[in-house]
Amino acid sequence: MEQAAIAPPAGGAHASTPVHAGHGDHETSTGVTNTKLAMWIFLSSECLLFGALIATYLLYRGRSKGIEPADVYNIPFTSATSFILLMSSLTMVLALAAIQRADYRRTKIWLVATALFGMTFVGGQVYEFTEFVRQGVRVDTNLFGSSFYLLTGLHGLHVTVGIVWLLSLWGLTTQGRLQQKDSETIEISGLYWHFVDVVWIVIFTVVYLIPR
Amino acid sequence: MSDAETTTTTEPVQDPDHNMLVGTAEEREREKKYGLQEIPPEEVPLLPGELSHHPSPFQYVVIAMILVVITALEVAVSYLEGDIPNGLIIFLLLGMGLVKFVLVASYYMHLKTDKPVFRRFFIMAAVGAIFLYLIVLTTLGVWDGGS
Repeated sequence: MEQAAIAPPAGGAHASTPVHAGHGDHETSTGVTNTKLAMWIFLSSECLLFGALIATYLLYRGRSKGIEPADVYNIPFTSATSFILLMSSLTMVLALAAIQRADYRRTKIWLVATALFGMTFVGGQVYEFTEFVRQGVRVDTNLFGSSFYLLTGLHGLHVTVGIVWLLSLWGLTTQGRLQQKDSETIEISGLYWHFVDVVWIVIFTVVYLIPR
Repeated sequence: MSDAETTTTTEPVQDPDHNMLVGTAEEREREKKYGLQEIPPEEVPLLPGELSHHPSPFQYVVIAMILVVITALEVAVSYLEGDIPNGLIIFLLLGMGLVKFVLVASYYMHLKTDKPVFRRFFIMAAVGAIFLYLIVLTTLGVWDGGS
């Protein structure tokens, strides 16, 4: 029956009882679900991946011939896109807060808002790359170009994957296939999204703002 | 309950005040009764792996505002290049970046309220990566300009 799909309002005696995770998750010896633990292990491995790329950038910075970062960076523009990515983290947690309260309308709005913020960020990155190429910085121009495009391009790819993930969650919510009991699904996608945000916090500080 | 009644309660309602993504009658009733901000975190069911409740939506917004202010300060400090020593700029920028990192990880990724196993994994990886690559960069003479 259609009405049975509507989750009851949160609260009362169930408030401090962990809700069952969706998709057939079961009791584990760790006391946490496998999907969430797997996501954290994946994010931990990503720390090493992005750490390696940031280290590579620092290694090659100032050792390139030709155009240098300071010649092409547009700090006001990148600050604006960083602000947009920060705001997307806010809308992501608001989506989680909404589905935990069985507020599916706001869940959909916040998921779409997060995806739109992400798209704006990626759009800004495409514009930035286009400008850099116009000024003569290509992947094969020098070591700065190679390490910069690899680092920020991989980050942009992560954001793009996150956008696809968010839009698929929005689709599921719209079809009524994502309910309050599936809140962990939104939380896990949120973990990925916030990780992409914290990686950008590091990239923005180390790559763009710190002087040579 | 007849099918007609069921349809009446679950069909999306056209609300003149909200032209996009209107919810079901139940959602709108609940919204009217509580409003998103008024359901306290204590009344929201815990997710698996959580030890205590998440922050409220209002607290999330406050954290976002703090992040925005710190970002603005970072950008402002970066423009002081030449006016104050570069070492001080680097110290301030890394400090503010660390504060932002910790805020997002603690409150948005819920490391503060989740079981410690997640925190241990993440800190081990993040701190391990920092040490590993600091050793690599030092070995390669990045700080002294060598090759």
